[in-house]
Amino acid sequence: MNNKHKQLLHPLPQKEVFRRLLVYTGKEKKLIIAAMILLIGGTAADLAGPLIIQTFIDDYLAPRNFVQDALITLGVVYLLLYAGSAVMNYIQGYLFQKVALSIIQDIRVDIFAKVESLGLSFFDQFPTGGLISRITNDTEQVKELYITVLANFLQNIIFLIGIFAAMFYLNAALAAFALLILPLLLIVIYFYRKYSSIFYADMSEKLSQLNARLNESIQGMSVIQMFRQERRMSREFAVINQQHQDSWMKSMKLDGLLLRPAIDLISILALMLVLTYFGAASFTGPVEIGVVYAFVNYLDRFFEPVNQIMQRLSMFQQAMISAGRVFRLMDHNEPPPKQQPNAGYQIEKGNVEFKKVHFSYFENEMVLSDISFRIDKGEMLAIVGQTGSGKSSLINALMRFYPIREGNILIDGKEIQTIPFQEIRKNIGLVQQDAFLYAASIKDNIRLYNKNITEAEIFTAAKTVGADAFIQELDNGYDHVIGERGTTLSTGERQLLSFARTIAHNPKILILDEATASIDTETEAEIQDALKNARAGRTTIAIAHRLSTIKEADHIIVLEQGRIAEQGSHQQLISKKGIYEKMYHLQQGMNYIQK
Amino acid sequence: MKVFVDLGWYFKQEKWRYLTGIFILILVSALTLIPPYIIGVVVDGISAQALTQQQLLIWMTVLLAIGVLSYLLRYVWRILIFGASIKLARILRDKLYEHFTLMSGKFYQKKRTGDLMAHATNDIRAIEQTAGAGVLTLVDSLTMGSFVIITMALTISWELTLIALIPMPFMALMTSIYGSMLHKRFSRAQQAFSSLNDKVQESMSGIKVTKAHGYENEEVSSFKSQSNNVVRKNMAVAKVDALFDPTISLVVGMSFFLSIAFGAVYVVNEAITIGQLTSFTVYLGLLIWPMLAFGWFFNIVERGRASNDRVNNILKVPMDVKDSAQAASTVPQGNISFQIDRFSYDETEENLKDIHIELQEGNTLGVAGRTGSGKTTLVKALLRDFDIKDGDIYIGGKSIRSFEKNALLNAVAFVPQDHFLFSATIADNIAFGKPDASYKEIIEAARHAGIHADISRFTEGYETMVGERGVTLSGGQKQRISIARALLLNPQILILDDSLSAVDARTEEFILRNLKKIRQNKTTIITAHRLSAIMHADEIAVLDQGELTEKGTHNDLMHFESWYKTMYEAQQVEMKIEEGHGDE
Repeated sequence: MNNKHKQLLHPLPQKEVFRRLLVYTGKEKKLIIAAMILLIGGTAADLAGPLIIQTFIDDYLAPRNFVQDALITLGVVYLLLYAGSAVMNYIQGYLFQKVALSIIQDIRVDIFAKVESLGLSFFDQFPTGGLISRITNDTEQVKELYITVLANFLQNIIFLIGIFAAMFYLNAALAAFALLILPLLLIVIYFYRKYSSIFYADMSEKLSQLNARLNESIQGMSVIQMFRQERRMSREFAVINQQHQDSWMKSMKLDGLLLRPAIDLISILALMLVLTYFGAASFTGPVEIGVVYAFVNYLDRFFEPVNQIMQRLSMFQQAMISAGRVFRLMDHNEPPPKQQPNAGYQIEKGNVEFKKVHFSYFENEMVLSDISFRIDKGEMLAIVGQTGSGKSSLINALMRFYPIREGNILIDGKEIQTIPFQEIRKNIGLVQQDAFLYAASIKDNIRLYNKNITEAEIFTAAKTVGADAFIQELDNGYDHVIGERGTTLSTGERQLLSFARTIAHNPKILILDEATASIDTETEAEIQDALKNARAGRTTIAIAHRLSTIKEADHIIVLEQGRIAEQGSHQQLISKKGIYEKMYHLQQGMNYIQK
Repeated sequence: MKVFVDLGWYFKQEKWRYLTGIFILILVSALTLIPPYIIGVVVDGISAQALTQQQLLIWMTVLLAIGVLSYLLRYVWRILIFGASIKLARILRDKLYEHFTLMSGKFYQKKRTGDLMAHATNDIRAIEQTAGAGVLTLVDSLTMGSFVIITMALTISWELTLIALIPMPFMALMTSIYGSMLHKRFSRAQQAFSSLNDKVQESMSGIKVTKAHGYENEEVSSFKSQSNNVVRKNMAVAKVDALFDPTISLVVGMSFFLSIAFGAVYVVNEAITIGQLTSFTVYLGLLIWPMLAFGWFFNIVERGRASNDRVNNILKVPMDVKDSAQAASTVPQGNISFQIDRFSYDETEENLKDIHIELQEGNTLGVAGRTGSGKTTLVKALLRDFDIKDGDIYIGGKSIRSFEKNALLNAVAFVPQDHFLFSATIADNIAFGKPDASYKEIIEAARHAGIHADISRFTEGYETMVGERGVTLSGGQKQRISIARALLLNPQILILDDSLSAVDARTEEFILRNLKKIRQNKTTIITAHRLSAIMHADEIAVLDQGELTEKGTHNDLMHFESWYKTMYEAQQVEMKIEEGHGDE
């Protein structure tokens, strides 16, 4: 991980996170406005109910003034208001969730697209585990954030404002008086927010430790058992488990002290305030009972939204941190190498030439120095060298995964920078050493996203590389769905499949990174045949581990510490009596192995 | 309800906590009834303008006392009941963990890690909910609900109570229905999310394939459609989720309407006072929670039962390999004799067949063969990962089944193929089998395993953390650490299961030389694909499809056109190529 990557681990300031979150709501402006209107309408209708009952009590019931028409109107209006508020509240609740979900969809696609657009250098250095969790878990947290803020905070705040408005309408003096409970609430909220964020963070840290330990133990259970450490591990687990329980208890106690029970206490205080006010007023003159009724009723409903907001505060804080992580990654800039702006050359033949190529991942550590060779259509180049000699780097340069430092890479005599990326990808086929297979059917693994590859072409490609036989033996043949990471297939079979995939895409230049892992002799022979068939009419570059492959090559390069130690045809190298000759000498008398 | 019976053992164990907690809950419910009564009295006083200052003061004091008392009691029952349920979660998790340690490889082959994790997290969470919120909702809905209704009926009017209650059961019913709908849709949303997770995982692991083919855009649109599916599933959740509040408010509104409309008639008839009508509506408000609680209760219990059944099913899985009653606790010692006629994991194919090998104490056995030939199965049989029914394995002339498994394993140290290290320091990993090992022992084991130099190069040396949060080790380094881990035990029998595959030839030679030096008079079994790892063994066995096909020393096997000879020569050449220069 370099400094640029470390930047990704720094938290983003809350203000900036908030601004970015707000920007995303812009696209959903219309829906948000519609939902807001419904929310205000629904809340107003909801809060009008007690007012109607108040009118009924004060104007009709208390003075025993029963006008049938007026009463029926009042009843109908009351029921309509409730029905209306139910419908409006349902729609707004749904709309806010919809807004939150579409925003999160945008964020997810944005961040995924961003990650896909990064250069391979990023993936070679940044741990994948962290990436995956940013794309899925962190965005999931952000989703909760939007839902909480939009669907919960907003609704509850509007509701609270509505209640205050109604109270002011009923009795401004008392309403102003009732505002006195606000500071009390704010104090409770302040302390709850302060401590819950600490406790909550501690608890989630303990939980993740617990889960990590559990997960690790399940995966390493055979080791634990082999070394008879079951009791110790159980003991250690019990300790973490106990710690988790303790911090859970702490959170629970905090909730008990400052959440519902505290709010309930405040609501009793508020009730006392209202009753005292009206009681005192009654000493001096008559009081409208309906107003008392409405006040009591409003107070009753005032505190539930407060409870709901408080319960989500701690989650809110965690989610802001997640959002920060997501935006950091979205801001990360590490593009693949740049092509020239007017790059437009179409690869015709696929002749490859390296001219004094120097290559390095970091400034001062040259990995390839002064590499020059030329290989034309129909020929095969074998690259030989020990681990760390620069073989994979050579591929990284030719695939243009990384830029080179000095020199030129030419395809058909044109500089690689002048060829569009898609053209390079289409015409250079790479058979990876550790074949990656998708959890999909064999067919889809060969075809990938290219819909133009017909079934017939898939079969031909598989036959060309000799994968047809083992595919036929699988359940459902070409429709067989490969299990997680292709574990049901052997290394050799996987490489054959990866080979078939490359051939089906019909590249002009074929790069084979031969598997070093132990492969059965039979499979090895199959891969040899595959290579022979696949090479025809193509430029082939093979990172070779097997003598049989090397012998087939028209041209051989021996790499040593990033430099070409020897190169030439088999015959030339033999007559040179250098490293290659020594190597070859060893196989004398063993030719029968190849037969 | 069955789940409460199933969890009976715990309720019994914690009966005082639960009984006190429930008693307090009931007390709190009773206390909640008083403020509405006070409201009624005060409102009537205000209405009649008969309220005196003293009365008002008394009532307010009572209110304050109730408020403070309720606050304290609410805090206490939470500690009692929620505290007990949180403790249950811990106990169950410990139980599950201990059970996991008893399960053999067969169990772990059948169950996916993700599922086992889910039992220990989600399922236990659901059981905890049952023992906490489940108890709370049951008690609250029954006591609070009945208290409120009885008070309304007795102190105000039972007829009006009945009328006002008509819409209420509808609320309990609807919220319960919504609850189970929500649960189903929520699981579907979770599933969609987890496949999105898989998709991302796959994309990141296969990024090179995507990049090599230039399929970035296609990958993004495929992700987009999966992510869209997550949105759709979540919208289905939202559709139900948004129903709760409006339904409740509608039902409550209906109740209020009925009680005011009919209550007015009673007021006019002077059956009740306006103050009583006000109290009545406050009581109605108090009924919302018990009704909701009743609806929730069924959902909580439904989930709790399913989860409890799942956890119990796991806990019921018996151990595969059990010690017999007469099993000896002495550590086995002596010559090892494999006398296996036949073994099969699942009865569909024979994994081992006719394997008869004698291994003198202190000798080294090499086992060769291609992938899937049965090498690992053979050594696992010696470790009693499973029991062989046809045939047996003897140590010192006694069947391995006549020893306690613990005693058997005491004689063995095993280096598995898939080098697994724990997220701990390197020192802790090496000392895994002997946590009290001294630093000297650890370093010595590391030296013998050829990893000391590598470790010394880390800035924190042996205290370097391994795993996600620590340093990334190469496959070869991990293998050597797991070899050191086994060497530290200095066991009677050392088994290396293809565990030199990721180290280079020179290191392999170094380790093998060390083994020879430090393991004189001790038995070693090495399985390998690369034959250089076993060529010096006293006896080499070649397996093919579970059968013993060739047996002898290196020299014996090189004497004829054996599979061993063919492989050996081919590998020799390739090793030289790999080294890039044929210097001898």
